[in-house]
Amino acid sequence: MQKIAVQVDDLTVAYNYKPVLWDIDLEIPEGVLMAIVGPNGAGKSTLIKSILGILKPIAGSISIYGKPYEKQRSLVAYVPQKGSVDWDFPTTALDVVMMGTYGSLGWVKRPGQKEKKAALEALEQVGMLPFKNRQISQLSGGQQQRIFLARALVQDASIYFMDEPFQGVDATTEIAIINILKALRKANKTVVVVHHDLQTVPEYFDWVTFLNVKKIATGPVKDIFNDDNLTKTYGINYKVSIQK
Amino acid sequence: MSSAQIEIQVIASLVAVACAIPGTFLVLRKMAMISDAISHSILPGLVIGFFITQDLNSPMLILLAAVTGVLTVVLVEQIQKTGLVKEDTAIGLVFPALFSIGVIMIAKNANDVHLDVDAVLLGELAFAPFDRLIVSGVDIGPKSLWIIGVILLITIALLFAFFKELKLSTFDAGLATSLGFSPVVIHYGLMTVSSITTVGAFDAVGAILVVALMIAPAASAYLLTTDLKKMLLLSIVFGVFSAISGYWVAHWLDASIAGSITTMLGLLFLIVYLFAPSKGLIAVMYREKQQKIEVSLLTFLLHLKNHTEENERHVNHLREHINWQKIRAKTVVDLALKNNMITIDNHIVSLTEKGDEFTSQAIDYIITNQDTQIEDMKDDFFLFRG
Repeated sequence: MQKIAVQVDDLTVAYNYKPVLWDIDLEIPEGVLMAIVGPNGAGKSTLIKSILGILKPIAGSISIYGKPYEKQRSLVAYVPQKGSVDWDFPTTALDVVMMGTYGSLGWVKRPGQKEKKAALEALEQVGMLPFKNRQISQLSGGQQQRIFLARALVQDASIYFMDEPFQGVDATTEIAIINILKALRKANKTVVVVHHDLQTVPEYFDWVTFLNVKKIATGPVKDIFNDDNLTKTYGINYKVSIQK
Repeated sequence: MSSAQIEIQVIASLVAVACAIPGTFLVLRKMAMISDAISHSILPGLVIGFFITQDLNSPMLILLAAVTGVLTVVLVEQIQKTGLVKEDTAIGLVFPALFSIGVIMIAKNANDVHLDVDAVLLGELAFAPFDRLIVSGVDIGPKSLWIIGVILLITIALLFAFFKELKLSTFDAGLATSLGFSPVVIHYGLMTVSSITTVGAFDAVGAILVVALMIAPAASAYLLTTDLKKMLLLSIVFGVFSAISGYWVAHWLDASIAGSITTMLGLLFLIVYLFAPSKGLIAVMYREKQQKIEVSLLTFLLHLKNHTEENERHVNHLREHINWQKIRAKTVVDLALKNNMITIDNHIVSLTEKGDEFTSQAIDYIITNQDTQIEDMKDDFFLFRG
């Protein structure tokens, strides 16, 4: 049987007493490239943030390879929404990628040559090496997203959580990112992506979770990515032509 | 210079450095107004501490006042958390309340002591050298110098130890949490340092100047650099420069030292705001003007590219057709000529090969929004620098 990378049990999260996630049970098997889809306000980002301990749930538990997240931080990398940070912050592309190494360093210890080398490799991997010294506000949306991806890659984790990595990026960047994600899956990493473009789900992902405050369905794309689940999730009669 | 003059300048400079360090992070965290709140609301803490210790320079008094500073932040956050008022409103509610309690306490009980509202607001830097620290009969310098010196050393030590954590939690609190660096701890650490610095500087420069010393140098530095370490260094340099130049301005004008230092800070910011090379007002206006011309240039080139017929490419016709004023038309044509993008032969304008290629590239970029092909055009044209 496939190992379970992430297990979510009875998770309920609320903002000001209004539940945004209600009693979620979810198992993410190791080595899948999974999309979380659902309408706006369905709690997709909230689910990721709760798994990562950024939001405190009012009920439920989460485990990463059978242990609480706090004990497994080194196994997990996170790419937040691009809009969640201030891109005018005085720092360079390389420096942002270096931040990915802070977790393994722990408190007080500073990054050195080893961390810098890892960051440069990650920049190379996302094709951003020529921009390493550029101030982050001088990068395009697609380039900023690549920097965020490089920052996650540098963590060398087993599980990657990404919040809308394709938002506001150009076509080339989208292809570059998805190729990297597919390479991660090939290396038996688990990748979880909050995704908006339903058309590309069958092409990009092999696993999918439908979410709308409650979990609608989760499983292999080929089995459950159908009009029935889409209609249940989005509440309107949905038709997508699944690309062969 | 007398030794008192030197001492005043040293105290002012140390205060400036001690303020610039937390100030830089406050500015980056968009929390400048919090320093204003802290600087005012520590007053009741100071007064209560003074009643207990009867000594304005006691470490106990500084700690008590710093606790009031952190309490201010907590109160602001709690009020804000209810969702009934916004953050700026919460700040505006909390600090005048605490400050006024302090003012009443002074007026009722401390009339006969060296603690009055004027001194609290503007400080008494000129008197700082009179209050000496005597250790076993030996005069080792002004008390304020020692207080701010110790605070500064602690601040620098903390900055070196937690620079990485401060940077990460300021830039991306979400990632900081997921990596196990508690942004809450960092936040309250910074608030504590800001409060202690404020108290330490309070006696020397007063509540208003403390805010100016925290915010103005950092805001000026922010306009000049894109590197956090340089921003910290520049803030420190600006703070010290204003402290020393402000002292001499006060000396020449026979005016308040605190007021003069604040004026210098304001002037410094104004100069940077106007003349900063890329973020300054003049640079921005210049860039916008250039971008406007470049858009016109592109429009013009595209028109040439779309029309092979000679009557569409006649110089006079162009002016009427694109509906530009004479000066604008001339600027655009000159720019195109300068870049060898067009040739004018017998009043007929034609695209050169370079111009043709440039137009395709630029249009292609604007339509597809691809990054890579535009990198080499950024150097020559403002239009593509975002």
